[in-house]
Amino acid sequence: MSAPLLRLDDVTKTYREGDAERAVLRGLSLTIEPGAFVVLMGRSGAGKSTLLNLVSGIDLPTSGRITVDGTELTELSETERTLFRRENIGFVFQSFNLISTLTVAENVLLPLELSGTATGQARERAQAVLAHVGLGDRGDSFPDRLSGGEQQRVAVARALAHDPLFVLADEPTGNLDYETGQQVLTLLGDLVRDTDTTLLVATHDRSVLDRADRTLTLHDGTLHDRLPDFLSPDDRRAAEGAAADA
Amino acid sequence: MLYRSSLRYLTRHPWLMGLSVLGVALGVAVVVSIDLANSSAGRAFELSAETVTGTATHQVTGAAGALPDSVYRTLRMEAGVRPSAPVVEGYASVEGDERTFQVVGIDPFADAPFRPYLGTGPGGDVDLGTFMTQDAALLSAPTADEVGVTAGDTLRVDVEGTQHSVVVGGRIEPQDERTRRALANLLVVDVSTAQALFDRQGQLSRVDLILPSDDAEQTTALERIRAVLPEGTRLQRAEARTQAVEQMTRAFDLNLTALSLLALVVGAFLIYNTMTFSIVQRRGLIGRLRALGVTRRQIFGLVLGEAALLGAVGTGLGVLLGIVLASGLVHLLAQTINDLYFVVEVSALTITPWIVVKGGLLGLGTTIAAAIPPAREATNAPVSTVLRRSTQEASVQAMAPRLALAGALLGALSGTVLALTSQGIIVSYVALLGLLVAAALLTPWAVMGLARAARPLLGRLFGVIGRMAARGVVTSLSRTGVAIAALMVAVAATIGVGLMIDSFRGTVEDWLTQSLQADVYVQPPSEVFRRSTATLDSTVAARLRAVDGVASAYSVRRAAVEADVGPTDLVAIEPGPETEDVYRLKSGPPETAWPQLQNGSAVFVSEPYAYRHDLAVGDTVRLQTDRGAQALPIAAVYYDYGSDLGVVMMSRTAYTQFYDDRGVSGLAFYAEEERDVDALIADMRAAVGGLQDVLIRSNRALRETSLKVFDRTFTITTVLRLLALVVAFIGVLSALMALVLEREREMGVLRATGMTPPQVGGYVTLQTGLMGAIAGVLSLPLGYVLAYVLVFVINKRSFGWTLQLNVPPDVLLQALGLAVGAALLAGLYPAWKMAQSSPATALRDE
Repeated sequence: MSAPLLRLDDVTKTYREGDAERAVLRGLSLTIEPGAFVVLMGRSGAGKSTLLNLVSGIDLPTSGRITVDGTELTELSETERTLFRRENIGFVFQSFNLISTLTVAENVLLPLELSGTATGQARERAQAVLAHVGLGDRGDSFPDRLSGGEQQRVAVARALAHDPLFVLADEPTGNLDYETGQQVLTLLGDLVRDTDTTLLVATHDRSVLDRADRTLTLHDGTLHDRLPDFLSPDDRRAAEGAAADA
Repeated sequence: MLYRSSLRYLTRHPWLMGLSVLGVALGVAVVVSIDLANSSAGRAFELSAETVTGTATHQVTGAAGALPDSVYRTLRMEAGVRPSAPVVEGYASVEGDERTFQVVGIDPFADAPFRPYLGTGPGGDVDLGTFMTQDAALLSAPTADEVGVTAGDTLRVDVEGTQHSVVVGGRIEPQDERTRRALANLLVVDVSTAQALFDRQGQLSRVDLILPSDDAEQTTALERIRAVLPEGTRLQRAEARTQAVEQMTRAFDLNLTALSLLALVVGAFLIYNTMTFSIVQRRGLIGRLRALGVTRRQIFGLVLGEAALLGAVGTGLGVLLGIVLASGLVHLLAQTINDLYFVVEVSALTITPWIVVKGGLLGLGTTIAAAIPPAREATNAPVSTVLRRSTQEASVQAMAPRLALAGALLGALSGTVLALTSQGIIVSYVALLGLLVAAALLTPWAVMGLARAARPLLGRLFGVIGRMAARGVVTSLSRTGVAIAALMVAVAATIGVGLMIDSFRGTVEDWLTQSLQADVYVQPPSEVFRRSTATLDSTVAARLRAVDGVASAYSVRRAAVEADVGPTDLVAIEPGPETEDVYRLKSGPPETAWPQLQNGSAVFVSEPYAYRHDLAVGDTVRLQTDRGAQALPIAAVYYDYGSDLGVVMMSRTAYTQFYDDRGVSGLAFYAEEERDVDALIADMRAAVGGLQDVLIRSNRALRETSLKVFDRTFTITTVLRLLALVVAFIGVLSALMALVLEREREMGVLRATGMTPPQVGGYVTLQTGLMGAIAGVLSLPLGYVLAYVLVFVINKRSFGWTLQLNVPPDVLLQALGLAVGAALLAGLYPAWKMAQSSPATALRDE
């Protein structure tokens, strides 16, 4: 068995609200293997986005350790975490969050440009990824000219263009209609499978469950390696089938 | 509830609210302070004029500011005009005090009905024996305390460079605050003492009269007086003189007021920016409110209510700040008036309710007017819960060409008004404002073009950050456009006013070089630099002419006389072989004009005088002289930058023929060849040592002094320029803060994607630098146009001067640096804030 890509050891995150402290995550421990497609479910406010922020190094836990590919994020400075994220993490957000001031191609190249590694080969890869998401001919367009589905496909291309270790997707279908959402999920799933990239998707979308290797549920600040209680029997059967195949 | 929501929005954005309040406050403060300074100086002059005039209804004056005292005797004895009182007045400085005192010489027996507060009447406090028999002076009790003298002390008084001693004969106790202020700079002496102080034996400044108020009786009295008055004397209503003096500064005041309004215009941009931003940020909220049943009218009222609140707070602060600012500006203004027009001592600000109300209405009105377009935009918000920012920006970008077209049309209209109307400063300023607004309307379109042009270059230099910075300026055009326009207008105003001052200075320097050809200039010290009518002591003049090494000497006499067109400054010169080189004629044939001037058959008038009174070569000017009114043809109009009031020039021969005055105001000396000028000056100083303390200067020193005074008169203009720039700076800061607020999410994404805090800071700095550069580039042509209009239209219509427009390249470079510097400085805090912002917080809404 290979070394885990992600390891959480007794991770707790609390927020201060006035005089009171509210614990969003309590003593989470978790390992995720490389190349896994993991779905993170939970009710709104359960702490899914907080967990993604911790895993990406955007935020730091109140206590506990987070290790990604052998690098302990909690030991790094803010700048070191940013550089780590730039190299190793790809993000897909619910509301796409493309940079309105950059063209589609520039958005995809952004992480490489920021790290100064936008070589010819990297550009070719970015173009190839863009073509792969079906937008090879829209590289010079600005984001506000694209539909929601197209924008999310660009976001997927941006998340994968620099060949990251890990893609974190936060409600990637939340702002899309069902059909478009499915297309985006298929695309994302295919791409991470093809490139052996690890994917962690935080979502409410039950349709993603049949694609996942593993489903985690956040409930009351703790993490459970099981399906959430609110699933229908059909969804539950589909998810269990997918996990067994994996 | 709606208003509570509105108030919460404002209090949740303290930075934006604070900056817009500050913008309004500064704009209002500048306008109020100039208004206060102007009116305080005016009021101070009025007070001192009223004090000296007292209850007189009419005055008899002489042709050149002097009247034989026999006229007074004639009036009393032959015409039986009583009450009547003789007055001799002038200015002096007192040792140990920086003020300029107005010296009034009176006859205590005749004066009581005119100036009862002096206490010279029966039962008064003044010891008339001392007052009339010694050289005694009365001064107000508070002033005596300030100077540190009591009755019986000796006061050292300097009149036009000659030292005198007077005894403090008594103290006048002011009955109220108004009298206290009116008497603060007054030194009251007996007529004979004043005649001795001002070297005017046998002469009076005027005779004051109180004539019956009944029309018929007054007419009879006037006829009786006119019948006995000798030729050259003038009988006029007492307030006519004060009004004529106040008229002198009208154009000057108007130009200052217009310049102060510029700060308010820039402040209006700021309000527009803030209100637009607050609407754009809340479009979704407004849409939801509309969906819940809030009417368009309620939304409109809500936005205007917010603006009114910001405006009221800003205006209130502005008025207070204006009062503080005015207490500094009033001294600069008083100095300028003293240099250029007349003596005025401003001891306190005159704060009238009208000025405060006017400033308040202007501030509040401007704020609400600036908020109307955003309020209308708010009422047009679609009834929806979701609205994309990009849609809003796309509509602004689509509107840019239409705005540009409107700007071009407005610019053309303003240009036409400036070109076609020949008079009227106010019309010119309105057209100038039209040009500024036209330029602002053209700005969004120009910003799009320039930012797009800059994108490839910035991309090559700074990579993706450079491209983002360039495009960000366009994609946030509704924000950046207004900020750039505000900065552009302020920098353009700086360039325009700067070029105007430079051009003016350049022209004056050339003129001084040509005018000051003699080697040494001598004149007594004068209270008003540009209108010196002080008299050089005749012994001093004679001794100076006799100094070894003087090749030739020419006298000049300045006198304030009356003409048919009003009070006129007259200059009498002794033409010599070099004179024709000293004066440059604007119109009139030199070959005939100079002989006519020399033989006294014609006069020359300066360019401002010709312009002010609409006179040209061939016209005549009617001067009151000691030989009666004289109609003198104008042989030439000449360039002169010494006085915006203008002067009439005649030969000394003609002056002697028409006036009894034999004094000289100054002497110009040419040194013999080989004679060292510095040594000559030293010899001259030695020759007049112990006599009148005159100013003996080389032509270079006089030129330097003249330029120093010139620079001093523009200090207040420079202060106003800087204040407009400060308001614009706040505008840019506020716009950038607005951008920071709404880009928090985008910054969060960039940080999540791997942009480091220094890169975020660099990105914001690059963008603000680009905004500054665009504002700078756009301000250059606008600044040039402003300078052109100021030099060739406003200045011409205000003062009548022909100036050479001088455009030194460094002024333009400085402007560009100023715009970029101001924008970068304004961007420092937003850049730091963006770099420090937590991506987790920014992305929390995900």
